[in-house]
Amino acid sequence: MRATVAELTKLPGVWRGGELEKACHAVVSTGHAALDRELPGGGWPTGTLSEVLHDAVGIGEIGFLSAALMRASEGGRMIAWINPPHLPYAPALAQMGIALERCLVIRPANKEDALWATEQVLRSGACGAVLFWLAQDEYAWLRRFQMAAEAGRSMAVYYRSTAAARLSTPAHLRVVLERVDDSLRIRIPKRRGPPLLAPVSLRVSPAAVGALAGGRGPFIPTLIHSERPKAVA
Amino acid sequence: MLWVALELPSLPLQIAQRAGACSEPLVIAEGPTQRPIVTCANEAARGAGIREGQAVAAARALAVGLRSVARDLAAERDTLERLAAWAGQFTPMTSVDGQGIVLEVGACLRLFDGHAKLTGAIKRGVREVGFHATVGIAPTPLAARLFARAEAHGLQVRSCLALADLHERLADLPLFLLDWPAKTLARLTDLGVLRLRDILGLPAEGIARRFGPEIVVSLDRLTGRVPDPREPYAPPPRFRSRLELPAEAQGVEALVFPLRRLLSEFEGAMRARGTGVQHLTLILVHGRKAHTRVSLDFSSPEREADFILAIAREKLGRLTLAAPTLALDLRAEALLAYVPREATWLPGAKEQALDRERLLERLGARLGADRVFGIAVADDHRPEWDWKPKRGQSGDRPGTERGQTGVRPRYDPGLSQVGRRPTWLLNRPQKLITHDGEPSYQGDLILLAGPERIESGWWDGEEVSRDYYMATNPRGEAFWIFREHRGAQSWYMHGVFA
Repeated sequence: MRATVAELTKLPGVWRGGELEKACHAVVSTGHAALDRELPGGGWPTGTLSEVLHDAVGIGEIGFLSAALMRASEGGRMIAWINPPHLPYAPALAQMGIALERCLVIRPANKEDALWATEQVLRSGACGAVLFWLAQDEYAWLRRFQMAAEAGRSMAVYYRSTAAARLSTPAHLRVVLERVDDSLRIRIPKRRGPPLLAPVSLRVSPAAVGALAGGRGPFIPTLIHSERPKAVA
Repeated sequence: MLWVALELPSLPLQIAQRAGACSEPLVIAEGPTQRPIVTCANEAARGAGIREGQAVAAARALAVGLRSVARDLAAERDTLERLAAWAGQFTPMTSVDGQGIVLEVGACLRLFDGHAKLTGAIKRGVREVGFHATVGIAPTPLAARLFARAEAHGLQVRSCLALADLHERLADLPLFLLDWPAKTLARLTDLGVLRLRDILGLPAEGIARRFGPEIVVSLDRLTGRVPDPREPYAPPPRFRSRLELPAEAQGVEALVFPLRRLLSEFEGAMRARGTGVQHLTLILVHGRKAHTRVSLDFSSPEREADFILAIAREKLGRLTLAAPTLALDLRAEALLAYVPREATWLPGAKEQALDRERLLERLGARLGADRVFGIAVADDHRPEWDWKPKRGQSGDRPGTERGQTGVRPRYDPGLSQVGRRPTWLLNRPQKLITHDGEPSYQGDLILLAGPERIESGWWDGEEVSRDYYMATNPRGEAFWIFREHRGAQSWYMHGVFA
C-alpha cells in the first residue's frame, strides 16, 4: 500500500499535503529568495491565476513583483495593465527595469468591457503578464480567467482588497500584503502545499530607498538632484 | 480538360433570399409593367398554388401579402460575375455561362486531391456564400452545364470524366436542357426527337439544313468534336458586394449572419487573387439616402472571414442604429499582397507578433482605440509631460519595437539620474490637507526623501515649480508629494509608490 502511495505522488499534479507542489507549472523567480522558497516550484506561477490582496496602497504591491514581471515578459510578450487604479508611470516602470515598449495599458469604460478585455488578453497568449484590477467577486468569472490564463500561458495577477480573503477562489496562489514597519509582510493563505505559518518579510520598502536618496542637506537648485537609488528589486 | 459547371436554379429568387430564407410568399416578376408574369416563386408561394408563368395579379389573388420583386438582369449578371471571381480560388479559368459559371479544373485536380473532394469543397463554399448550386462534371463545358442542369431538374446523372464515356452519358438527357431556340425544340419534339440519343444519331448535313448550322456546332461542342474555348473572367481590381436583406433588420445582431455570407464571398475573391486588405468598408443601408459606414482597419493585410467577422461584431456591437437596415454593402478598394500564415506546431516570434496585432485590433475594436495604449518616456521634466501614451497605427503600437521617433526606446541614463519615481501617477495632483503646515493623508506624512525640485515649462504656459518629496504615513503607505515653490505653497499628492 505504501508503495502505491509513493507511486501516486510521482504523478504530475499529485503531492502530499505536507509538502509544496512540485513544479508542474512554469514559474518565474520573484527575485526575492525568501519568497521564492515558499512558493510551489520556487517562483511565481505563470499560466495560472494568482491573487494579491492588499488594503493599503503604496506599500510596494507592484514593486515586489517587478522582477517576475520582467521575466514573464521575456521573449517579446507584453505586460498588460487592465483597469489600474492610477496611470502606470513610465519613468518609474523604466526604473524598475520593465521594458516600456512591452507595456499595454487598458482602461475599459465599464465593468462588462473590463471582464471581456481581461479574458481576451489572458487567452490571447500575447501577454506574458497580466495585472488586473476589477470589482469582481463572482467565482464563475474568476474560473474563466483561470482557464484563460492556462490557455494563454500568462502570469495573471488579480489585485483585490483583503475583504476578498473570506471568499473562495479558483486561483492557485493567494498572497496577502501588509506593511509592517520597514518591510513588506507577505502571508500566503493559499498555495499548492501546506499553509504558510510564518509570513515572509521583504525589505522592498520605499522608506529604505528613501533613506538612501534623502537627507541630502540643503536643497541644490538643479533639476537633477538626488543620486540614483540602489535598484529596488 | 475537365470542366465543372455550377448551375444556380431560380437565380433571381436565390439573390432575393440570399440573406436568409423568406417565410412569406415571394415571387420574382418579369415582363411588361401592365401585366407582369411570375418567373420564380419560393416555397411558400408554391404552397399557395402559385406557378411560374402566372400573372402577378392572379398570384396576388392566391396568396395574401404576396411580395413581388422585379427581376433584375444586371444584378443576376453581377452576382454570377462575383461568383466567378470567388471561384477563382479553385482555378484561374472561371467564366460566367448561362445561369451559372464554369470552371476548368483539369489542371488543379491534383491540388485538391481528386474531383470528388474538389466538387465537395466548391459546393460547401457556395453554400457558405449563400447560394445553392448543382454541379456537373464533364470533359466539355457544355456537357458539364447539361449535367448540372439535369441535376437541378431532379434527373439522375453520373458525372463523366473521360471523353470516351461522354456519348453514352449524354444519350439519355432530354433536349429541353439545351439553350436552343424554343422553335427548334418544338419542331424536334414534333419529329419525335426528344433525347440527345435521337439527335446524335442523325446525319449532320440534314440537321444543318433543317435547323441551321449553329445547332450542329452546338452538338459538336457538346460532344467535344470541336473545341469550345471560354474567356476567363477577369475580376476588377477591387471588391464590392451588396446583399439585400429579406426583411428590415432591427438592431445589429441580425446582421451577423448575412455579413458572414458577404465575408466568405470576400475571402474567396481575395484567395483567388492572393490578396488581402487593410481597409474594409461596411455600409449598412437604411434607406435611399441614409446609411451607416463602418470602417474596419487592420494593421496587416487580412482576408480571413472568421477574423474579420469577429472584429466587425465588436464594431457593430458599439453601434446604435437609428433606422432598420435594408441592405449590406461591403467594399474594399486597395487590394494588397497577402502573406499566408504558416501554421507551425510550436509558436515562434512571428506568431507571437501576430497574436499581439490581433489582440490589439480586437481590443481596439470593442473598447475604442483611446482606451488601449502603450506608454513611453517623453522628453520633459514635468511629471505630467514626461510620459506619453502610444496609440495609433501599426508602427506606433505598444509591443512593437518600431516607430520610436521622438520617444526614447529605453530609459536614458541621463534621466535615470533623477530621484525615484512612483509606480502610479495620479491623473492630476490631489491637494492635501495640512495640520500646522504639515501635509497629511490618512495620518501625518513623514518626509523620507527630497526635496527634488522640478521647475520647468515657463515657455509653454504650463509652468511648474515644485519640490517633490517621498513621504509615508503611519500605515506605511508611500506617496510622491510636492509643495508648490511659488504662490500658495500648498501640498499636493502626485503619485503612489506601489
